[in-house]
Amino acid sequence: MVFSSEPAVAFLVVCLPFLAAALVPAVHRAVGERTGYVGAAVALVCFGLLATLVGTEATVSVPWIPALDVAFELHVDGWALLFALLASGIGALVFTYSVGYMHGERGLVRYYAALLAFMGSILGVALSADLIALFLFWELTSVCSFLLIGHHTEDAASRYAARMAMIVTVGGGLFVLVGFLALFVASGSALGTETFSLVAMLEEPDAMRAALREAGLFVPALLLLAVGAASKSAQVPLHFWLPNAMEAPTPVSAFLHSATMVKVGVYLVGRLRPLLGSSEWMLLFATLGLATMTITAVLAVAASDVKELLAYSTASHLGLMIAGFGFTVPYGAEAGVFHLLNHALFKAPLFLVAGIVAHEAGTRRIDELGGLRHDLPVTALITVVAALGMAGFPPFNGFYSKELLFEAAYEVGHAAGGLAWLYPVVAVFASVFTVLYSLRFLALFFGTRPEGLGTVHRPPATLLVPPAVLAAVAAVVGIAPQFAVDGFVGWAVEPTAIEAHEMHAGLPTSLSPPVLMSVAAIGGGALAYPFYAGVRDAVRALASVRALRPNWWYDVALAGLDSGSARLIPAVQNGLLRTYVTWVLGATCALALAGYAAAGVSIPAYDGVGVSLPIVLILVVAVLVAVAVAVAPSHIAGVLTVSILGVMIAVFYVLTSAPDLALTQLVVETLALLVFLLVLEEIPEFYGDIETGPALRDAGLSLVVGATVFLTVLFTTRSPPGGGESIARYFTEHAVPGGGGTNVVNVILVDFRGFDTLGEITVIAIAAVAVLALMTMRDGGETT
Amino acid sequence: MTTVIMRTTARVVVPIILIVSISLFLQGHNLPGGGFIGGVLATTAFALVYISYGLDFPRVLGHEIEPAERVFEDPIVVAYRRTFLLGLVIAIGGGLVPILFDLPFLSQTYVILHDVPIYGEIELASALVFDLGVFLVVVGGLLTVLSVVGAE
Repeated sequence: MVFSSEPAVAFLVVCLPFLAAALVPAVHRAVGERTGYVGAAVALVCFGLLATLVGTEATVSVPWIPALDVAFELHVDGWALLFALLASGIGALVFTYSVGYMHGERGLVRYYAALLAFMGSILGVALSADLIALFLFWELTSVCSFLLIGHHTEDAASRYAARMAMIVTVGGGLFVLVGFLALFVASGSALGTETFSLVAMLEEPDAMRAALREAGLFVPALLLLAVGAASKSAQVPLHFWLPNAMEAPTPVSAFLHSATMVKVGVYLVGRLRPLLGSSEWMLLFATLGLATMTITAVLAVAASDVKELLAYSTASHLGLMIAGFGFTVPYGAEAGVFHLLNHALFKAPLFLVAGIVAHEAGTRRIDELGGLRHDLPVTALITVVAALGMAGFPPFNGFYSKELLFEAAYEVGHAAGGLAWLYPVVAVFASVFTVLYSLRFLALFFGTRPEGLGTVHRPPATLLVPPAVLAAVAAVVGIAPQFAVDGFVGWAVEPTAIEAHEMHAGLPTSLSPPVLMSVAAIGGGALAYPFYAGVRDAVRALASVRALRPNWWYDVALAGLDSGSARLIPAVQNGLLRTYVTWVLGATCALALAGYAAAGVSIPAYDGVGVSLPIVLILVVAVLVAVAVAVAPSHIAGVLTVSILGVMIAVFYVLTSAPDLALTQLVVETLALLVFLLVLEEIPEFYGDIETGPALRDAGLSLVVGATVFLTVLFTTRSPPGGGESIARYFTEHAVPGGGGTNVVNVILVDFRGFDTLGEITVIAIAAVAVLALMTMRDGGETT
Repeated sequence: MTTVIMRTTARVVVPIILIVSISLFLQGHNLPGGGFIGGVLATTAFALVYISYGLDFPRVLGHEIEPAERVFEDPIVVAYRRTFLLGLVIAIGGGLVPILFDLPFLSQTYVILHDVPIYGEIELASALVFDLGVFLVVVGGLLTVLSVVGAE
C-alpha cells in the first residue's frame, strides 16, 4: 500500500476519543452546541490515523499487569481496520449530524462525552488483541450505550430500554469472559505458556482446538462465546433489546445499532472463526444466524414505526453476517465481511433518513407517511440507493454480499445434502421478507401523500450531508464491487478466512443456482408486495402471542426477581444486628467450605500433637473460659471472662516465643476491657432469658464458624510456598543486615512489609473518620 | 466510674503507662515493642484519664479550654483527629523521602552511632519515623473513636 506508519499510532487512536470525552465539558463551555464538530474532528483524526495503517499487519503491546501476563496489546490487520475505519468514519458523520439533530436539546455534554467514549471503546474492541483488554472494551461499549440509549432520562420508556440493553449485553459479556478464560486455560497446553494474547492463539489454531477438545472445553467455550456474541449482536432469542433501544436519539441509533456496537458480536465471531471453525461451529452459527435472519425479517414486516422496522431489519442482517461466518466454506467469510461493510453503508443512511423524516414530518408512524419525494427529493434519492441495497437488488451494494451468502449456503447444502438443504431454502425465505420490508420503507417516499401529513420542511445541510456521503459510498461499492474487493475488502477477509481463496464480486454472467436463489427472493418479494397489509396483519397476530415474545419473558423474569428479592430482603436484613451477623458468617463459611470442597483439598495426616504440656493446659483453660463466656450470668461477668480468654491467648503466645504478640494481646485486651466498662455503664442490668430456638441456631453457627476457621488454618499452613520454614528463616536471617533491628516482628512490620503497615494504619484512620461521619450524620438526622 | 479511688489511681498510673509506652515505642526495633503496641498502650493511658474525668479533664487539671456544644467540635476531639492525620502525613511523608534518592517508596535504612555518652552505641533507624507515624495514627484514631462513641 501507499501509506505506512508506525503501528504504535493505534494506541493514539484508542486513547484519543477517551481524552476528548474527558475534555467535552470544557469544550462545551467554550463552543456550545458546536461541540459536535469537535467530536467529528476527533473522529476524523482517528479515521486518518487508521487510514495510514492500511496494508500493515502488526502487533504492538505495552505491559499492563505483568504478574498475570496481561498486556495492553493492539493488533492491526484488515478485519480490525475495516471495523475501526467504519466506527470512526461513520462516527465523524454522526457527530456532524448530531449538531443539527440535537439542536436545543438538554444534556449535550453527557451526550457527546458518552458518544466519544463509545467510539473509543469500539475502536478498542476492534484493535485489542489481548483478551482481558478486549473484554474491558467490550463491556465499556455496553456501559456507554446504556448512557446513550437512556439519554432522555425523564422518559420511563427510555430508562426501560437502556436498562434492558444493559442487562442483556453486559450479561452476555460475562459469558464471553468465561469463554475467554477457557481459551486461556487451553493456551497453556497448546502454546506452552498460558497467555491472554489472541494473536498468539490465532497463530496455532489447530493446537488450540486440540487442546480445547482434550480438556473437554471446546463445545462449552463455543457456546459461551456464542451467547456473548448473540447478546451483543441481537441474535434470536436475545434480539428483543434492539427494537427497544430505538428509544435512543436517532443519531445514536444510526451509530450504535447499525454501524458499530451491535456488530461487535459479529466482529468477534469473525475474529474467532479461524480459531474455532469446525463442524460444531457451522451447525451453531449457521443455524443461529439463519434463524435470526428469518424471524426478525418477518417481525420487521409487522413494524408500525419507521425505526422499529429498521431495528428488526438490523437484527436480520446481523443474522445474515453471523450465518456467513458460520459457514466454514470460503464464501462464508466473504459474505460476512463484505456484508458488514455494506450493511453499515446502507443502514446508517437509512437511520439518518428516518431521523430526517421524524424531524421534518413530525411522525415516525409508517401508516401516516407516504409520497415524501416531493417534499424531500434529495432524501428520497438517498433512500432509493440505500433501501435497494438493503433489499439486495442488483446493482446495489447489498446484492453482492447476499449473493455470497447464497453461494455459501448452496455449497454447504450441496456438499452435505439431506437436512443441510434447509440452509439455502431458509436463506431465500428470509430474503423474500427482506425485499418486502425494504420496498415498504421505500414507499414512504412514493405513492400517495396521506391527507393528515402537514407541511414538511427541507432538512438543513448538517442533517443531509452525512447520509448523502454514506449513500454515495454505497453507490460506488454497488457500481464497482470488484474495485472495493481488490482495494480493501479482500484484505479484510484474510484474517477471518480458514483457507486462502481469491475473492470475486460482480454481476452474475451465467445462470447458476445462487443466481436463481436471488431471482426467487426478489421475485417473491415483489409478487408478495401487493398483499403487504395481509402479511403484516398475519405476522402481528402471531407476534401478539405472549409466550412467543422474548420481551414478555424478560419482563416476567425481571418482575420475578423483583418480587423475590422483596421477599428475601426482610428475612436477611431485618434491622437486627444478630440477623446480619448470622447471614454474613453463614454465607462466608458456606463459600469457604464449598471452595475447599471444589478444590479437592484433603486434611493432612494426623501425626500427634506436637506441643508441650503447658501449652495444652493453657489451651484447655482457654476453651473452658470460652464456654464460661457463653453462659455468664451478667454483663460484667461476661466481659471479665472474655478478658481471661484474652490473657490465656497472651500466655500461649509467650510460651510459643512470640513476646511481641503477647504484649500486643495484653495491651489490646486491657483497652478492650476499658471500652467495655465504659459501654456497660449505659447498658441496662437486665440480661434477658435465652430462648431455645435462637440459642440452638447460635450454637450451630458457632460450631460451623469454628470448624471453618480450624480447617482454614489446617489447609493454609500445611504447605507454605518454598517449603517448610524458608519464609521464617529468610526473615530471621535478614532482619539485622537488612533492617538493622533484632526484633524480627517489628522489622517485618516497618522494613520489609512497610506498605502493609501503611495500609493498616490507613484503615484505622478511615475507621475513625467513618465513626465521626456516622455520628455527625445521625445527629443531623435527629435534629432536622 | 468517676470515684475518688479511680481518679487518684489514674493520676499515679497514667504517667507510668505513658513512659512505658514511649520506651516500648523506642526499643521496638530490637526488643518487643514498636509503634503499634506503644500507641495502643498510650491510648489506654488516655482512656483511663477519660474514664475517670470525662472529656473535661483538661479543665479539671487546670487548663482553660472552652467546652464545645457538640462532641465533634470539642477541642480535645479535634486534637485527636489532628493526631491521626499528622501520623498519616509522617508515615507517608517519611516513605516518600527515599524516592528523592531513587529508592522505592518506603525504603528504610539505618546508621549506628558509636561513642555516645552514657549509651555507648546507638542505632538510628529511619524506620523510627514510620513507626512514629503508626504510633500517632493508632493513638489519634482509637481515641477519636473512643471519645465520640463514649460521649453517647
